[in-house]
Amino acid sequence: MNWWTSLRRQETTHSRLLGVLFLTLLTLAITFILPPVADSELAGGAAIAIVILGLSWLTGWSGQISLGNSGFMAVGAYAAGIWAHHHATTPLFFTFVLAIVIGGISGLIIAIPSTRLHGPYLAGMTLAFSAAVTPLAQNFTSVTGGEGGIFMNSLVTPKWFTHFFSGQNAAINANAQWTADLAVVTAGVAFFFMANLFHSRSGRAMRLVRDNDVAAELMGVNLSRTRTMAFVVSAAFAGLGGALYSLLEASVRPETFPITLSITLLTLMVLGGIGTLSGAVIGGIIYSFSANLVSHVNALTGVNPTSNLGANMQGIIFGVLLILTMLFAPRGLVSLATPMKRLFRARPQKPASEQVH
Amino acid sequence: MSAFLSSAIMHNIFGGLAQGVIYSLVALSLVIIWQSTHVLNFAQGAMAMFATYVGMTEIGRGVGYWWCVLISVLVGMALGGATERVLIRPLYGKPEINPIVVMVGFLGVLEALAAAIWTSTTRNITEPFSQIYFQSNGHLVFLSSFVIFQIVLAISIMLFVAALFRFTKLGLQLRASALAPEVSRLLGVRVSRMLTIGWILSAGVGSIAAVIIASGSFGLFPTNMDGIFVASFIAAAVGGLESPIGAVAGGLIIGLVEQFILAYWSPNVAPLSGIIILVIVLMIRPQGLFTKHASRRV
Repeated sequence: MNWWTSLRRQETTHSRLLGVLFLTLLTLAITFILPPVADSELAGGAAIAIVILGLSWLTGWSGQISLGNSGFMAVGAYAAGIWAHHHATTPLFFTFVLAIVIGGISGLIIAIPSTRLHGPYLAGMTLAFSAAVTPLAQNFTSVTGGEGGIFMNSLVTPKWFTHFFSGQNAAINANAQWTADLAVVTAGVAFFFMANLFHSRSGRAMRLVRDNDVAAELMGVNLSRTRTMAFVVSAAFAGLGGALYSLLEASVRPETFPITLSITLLTLMVLGGIGTLSGAVIGGIIYSFSANLVSHVNALTGVNPTSNLGANMQGIIFGVLLILTMLFAPRGLVSLATPMKRLFRARPQKPASEQVH
Repeated sequence: MSAFLSSAIMHNIFGGLAQGVIYSLVALSLVIIWQSTHVLNFAQGAMAMFATYVGMTEIGRGVGYWWCVLISVLVGMALGGATERVLIRPLYGKPEINPIVVMVGFLGVLEALAAAIWTSTTRNITEPFSQIYFQSNGHLVFLSSFVIFQIVLAISIMLFVAALFRFTKLGLQLRASALAPEVSRLLGVRVSRMLTIGWILSAGVGSIAAVIIASGSFGLFPTNMDGIFVASFIAAAVGGLESPIGAVAGGLIIGLVEQFILAYWSPNVAPLSGIIILVIVLMIRPQGLFTKHASRRV
C-alpha cells in the first residue's frame, strides 16, 4: 500500500496539513507563471474562497442558511480598514485577527436571536442584516468615510522578493504577485483550520444537529450553542475574507458589498458543492475566472460588453447557474464528476481464488 | 382640528401608514404563498418589479395608466403561476433550503434581466393622482390624493383577498389544501392546482404593491423592491408568517416605527429599524405575534 492511500484512509491533522500545504505551494508556484493581471484575479478568488468556505460550513455542516455573509464581509473589511487608517504601522497579521474577531462578534449578535429560527426565517433575518449594512456604511460618514470609503495602503513588497523581477514594471509586477501570494497563504491557513474543524468534536456535533437534532440533544449536545458557534465561525471567515478582499482592492467602500454579493457567494458555494473544502476551492476558482468567463460568453453570443445586456451578463449567468444547479445537481459540480471518477478508479483486486495461475 | 391634522405627529402617522400598507400588501402575498406551499418567496419583490416594467412599457405611447396597471397585474399573476410550475414544483419534499436558494437565484436573474432590458436608471411613472398635500385654512394637511389612493387601493385589495378566502368555494378549497392536503385530495380538491392558484393570487397582490410604489415618488428601477421585500418579510415574520391578519398588522407596525425612528431618533439608524423590531418580537414571542398555536421551531 502506498503512503498516499494510507494517508487518505486515516486522515489526521498531519495529513490535512500536508494536503493544504501541497495545494498552497502549488498555487504559489502557479502565481509565478501567471501574468500580474491573472495574479490579482487569483488573489480575489482566494479571498472569496475563504468566505465561501465559511458559508459552506454553515450551510453544509449545520444546515443553516445565511444571506448575510456579504454583510459580515463588510464588517470585517471596515474593521480592518478603519484600524489600518488610524494605526498604519500595525502588522497585517493583527489587522486580520481584528477583522476575524469583529466579524465573529457581528455574527454572534445576529446569531443570538436567529438560532431559534430555521430555514426561511433565518435566511430572511440575515438578508435584512446584509441589506442594512450598505446604507449604514453610507450614513455614518465620520467613521466609514461614507460613499467614498476608506483607502487602505497597499502592501510593501520586501526587498528580497523584488529580486525575482526585472524589466520595465518590475516593482509593480513584484507587488501584484506578493499581494497574490499573501492572499493564497492566508487562504491556505483558513482552509487548514476549517479542515480540522470539519473533523473536530464540534464538526461531528454539528452534523448530528443538522441530521437529527433530537438525537443530538439526547447525547448532550447543546443545540443553540452549537448553532450559534456555526454562525460565529462563518461570520469570522467572512470577516477575514472581506478584510483580505478590501486589501486587494486597496479601499473599503459600501458598494463593494451589495446584497447581490450574497447571491454570488451562494451561487459559488452551490456550484462547488455545499459543505466541502474542494467546493470552496472550486467556487474561488470560478470567481477568479468569472470576469473572463463573462467576456467569453459575451464574445460567443456577439453581445456588446458595454451594452446593458453585456454589463448585466454576470448577474444573469450566475442566477441561471444557481437555479439549474439546485434543480439538477444540488450537490454541486463535484457530484457531476463522481461517475467519471468511478471510471478512473482502480478496480478492486479479485479474490485469490479467482486468480488464474 | 386643522392644526392637529397638520402637526408633525400626524405627518408621521400618515407617512408611516402609507408606507405600512405597502409592506402589509407584500407581507400578505408572502403569507399566501407560505401557507399554501411553505416556501418563503425571496423573488416576490423582484417578480412584481419585473411585471410592473412589462406592464408600464407602453404607458408613454397612448396606453392609459389603468390599462398598464391591469397588464402589470396580469403579467405578475402569469409569472407567479409559471414560477410555481417550473421552479418550485420539482422541489416539493426536498430540504427547505433548496427552494430558498432557487428563489434567491431567480431574484438575481430578474434584477439583472430588468437592468439589461430597461437600464438601471429610475423611471418615473406619471401618477394618476397628485402628490401635492391638501390645505385647510392655510395649514398643510399631510395627505395628498395619491396617499389616499395608495391607502384605499391597498385596503380594498386586502378586503378582496379576505373575502375570497372567507366566502368563496375557491377560498375554501385553498384553505383546505393548505391545512390538510391529503384529506383535501381524497375529498376531490385538486390540490396541485390550488397551489398554483395560491401563487398566482399572491403574485397579483405583490404586483399591485409594486405598481403603487413605482407610481409614487420612489419610482421604478430594478432593485426598487429590495428594501420593501426585506421590510415586508420582517412584517410577515412579526405576524408569525402563518397569519394574514398578522402580516397586515405587522406591515403597519413596521411602516409606523420606521417613520418615527426616521423623524425622532436618527435617519442614520433607520435602516436597522426592521431588524430591531424583529429581534424584539422574536425574543418575546418566537412564534410571532399572531400565531395561535406555538408550533415547534427548530
